[in-house]
Amino acid sequence: MVELDQIEKEKIPVTVLTGYLGAGKTTLLNRILTQQHDKKYAVIVNEYGELGIDNDLIIDVDEEIFEMSNGCVCCTIRGDLVRILNKLIKRRNRFDGIIIETTGLADPAPIAQTFFVDEDIRKNTRLDAVLAVVDAHHVMKTLDESKEAVNQIAFADVILLNKIDLVGQKDLKAIKKRIRAINRMVALYEMERSNIPLDKILELGGFDLKKALTLEPDFLSIHDHDDHDDHDDHDHQVHHYHGDGVMSISLMEIKALDGRRFNMWMSTVLQKFGKDLLRTKGILNFSHEDQCFAFQAVHMMAEGDYIRPWKINEKRSSKLVFIGRNLDEKSLREGFLRCVA
Amino acid sequence: MNQPLQLMESRGSLRKVEGTIIACATSWDDQYSAFATADGDLWIVPLNYLHDPDQWYRIQPHEGGILSLSQDMNCSGFITSGDDNTLVRIVPGQEPQKILQSKRWIEKIVSWSDKEGKQKKIAFITGKEIYLYKDDFTEVFAIFEHSSSVSDLTFSLDGTKIASSYYNGATLWSTDHKENHKIKDFVWKGSHIGVVLHPREEALVTSMQDHDLHGWRISDGHNMRMSGYPTKVKSLSFSADGKWLSTSGAEPVVLWKFFDGGPIGKPPIELPGIPGSCCMIVDCHPSYDMVAAGFLDGSILLIGITDEKVIPINLGSKKSIGEITALQFNKVGSLLIIGTETGYIILIDLAEKK
Repeated sequence: MVELDQIEKEKIPVTVLTGYLGAGKTTLLNRILTQQHDKKYAVIVNEYGELGIDNDLIIDVDEEIFEMSNGCVCCTIRGDLVRILNKLIKRRNRFDGIIIETTGLADPAPIAQTFFVDEDIRKNTRLDAVLAVVDAHHVMKTLDESKEAVNQIAFADVILLNKIDLVGQKDLKAIKKRIRAINRMVALYEMERSNIPLDKILELGGFDLKKALTLEPDFLSIHDHDDHDDHDDHDHQVHHYHGDGVMSISLMEIKALDGRRFNMWMSTVLQKFGKDLLRTKGILNFSHEDQCFAFQAVHMMAEGDYIRPWKINEKRSSKLVFIGRNLDEKSLREGFLRCVA
Repeated sequence: MNQPLQLMESRGSLRKVEGTIIACATSWDDQYSAFATADGDLWIVPLNYLHDPDQWYRIQPHEGGILSLSQDMNCSGFITSGDDNTLVRIVPGQEPQKILQSKRWIEKIVSWSDKEGKQKKIAFITGKEIYLYKDDFTEVFAIFEHSSSVSDLTFSLDGTKIASSYYNGATLWSTDHKENHKIKDFVWKGSHIGVVLHPREEALVTSMQDHDLHGWRISDGHNMRMSGYPTKVKSLSFSADGKWLSTSGAEPVVLWKFFDGGPIGKPPIELPGIPGSCCMIVDCHPSYDMVAAGFLDGSILLIGITDEKVIPINLGSKKSIGEITALQFNKVGSLLIIGTETGYIILIDLAEKK
């Protein structure tokens, strides 16, 4: 395990900065670069904005979404990142991290999928987290009008609610409620003028299997009886939340699962719903296994591995979270239950 | 080639430098070789001093890293591109000279020279465009525009054409015309990341993101698929007679047959490789029936294509030289130069001994 951790550490962390036009991405980027002045970053941008970027290495690219030739429409990657990152990894000791600032309408999924698909990128870098900067002043209108903006919120590991000084407390509450309804797993921070402690946004391990399901604060708590359906039973729960066409479904099961059956079921789910599934994460308790199994997927691209032994006093359970559109909650729940060993 | 077994001892030279070697080239007049590191160093080896590594020297042509390296139109010189979006001319003994500034990274440069060294051409990729220059840099001769970013380009043997690869296809361009220079588009869905042109221009072959090769017969556009690789194929090289396409991407060196109807319906042949390793880079000798291959574990083999005779380049105790990341014969094949992930520069003199 120690060796694996070591290898993981040596991979270059990559942070993706999404957010609608004018949300404050570049201001945040400059804050990261100036506050981390003892660290070196390579910054990948798409067309220089009006604000300058204060960094030695800025690479200007066109966002190019490439379909893989397997014919699956959601198996897309970012061709520009494949080329640029493959050049940057040849001098990985020259910088401490890579930051990708996307355009306002960018879809985060092909970016994340690039890290699944390209073997050299996967071997040498790790996607640390997808951040979404949200302009509190305009977000309600933006969410009404833009599916891209909804997707960015649904996909993010962290949401940075910017310009909160421009909205009242009541509005802020409504905004947060709406964001949480889209993505119940996300960590949400408020800020003014893109001001945020950097430990909240860097080195998060948002796509690290070992940290799967550690970021969400309250989604999976058993006694959460807020504004949602609850199919409470003694040893399994289902929660779901709707927001702007995106829903989060969480499933929990105390009884151990059959690993083989789970894998078969999950590959069927990804085949069937993959296009609509933005992110899937899970920690699973398989029968006859001393280790807990972590799982994650972006659309249809999935990975899973045993990450650590269950602790002696730890209450073993399986937790699974889906974020996506048009999800059939009933069939997901039933399928999950059929995996019980 | 009568003393094959201890090539390195009798004819080789090596030096360890900082950084990862990403490209190497030998000047058109065979006076200098150059090795570029990703970090931004360019090592110049005066070939008179091939066996005296203390005479090799380093320059830093760019602010930041180097992206690409090629021969210059000046017979002794080189051209590099770097992080600072510039193209720089390096003539040994002179100050590096900035040729031009681009808006984007210049991701790859290629050059061509005729046999006499009279005519020269240089082309490079920046974003979706290829810029072509002839004989000097005073004026761009032509700009080839593509629908997406260009991933790779190569000159035809006679320099009259350029083949380019990009998303969803490849294109053959004429380098003789200032306008209407597109000869033909070759369409195939998917991300094409590298391109080679058959020496007699019978076929165009690309490497794809999905670990496959795709080819087109140039005469009629007929598609050919060559698949079965465990990893991405990063290096392709046609043999001098055009009969074989050698490729990296598998444990052995994989060769596709380009005669007797091949590669359509013909399985590839596998030359010897390094068990448990992976071939990363290949270059066919410009006249002999031989391919040089570099491997993930640092092994280097010279392999006879038809007799499958293997000559390993034995580096003695230097076991951990790292992945072979650059490897190239000079134009006549009298010199093989190699660079590695951990910064080894290796030169092997293959010329007939007088």
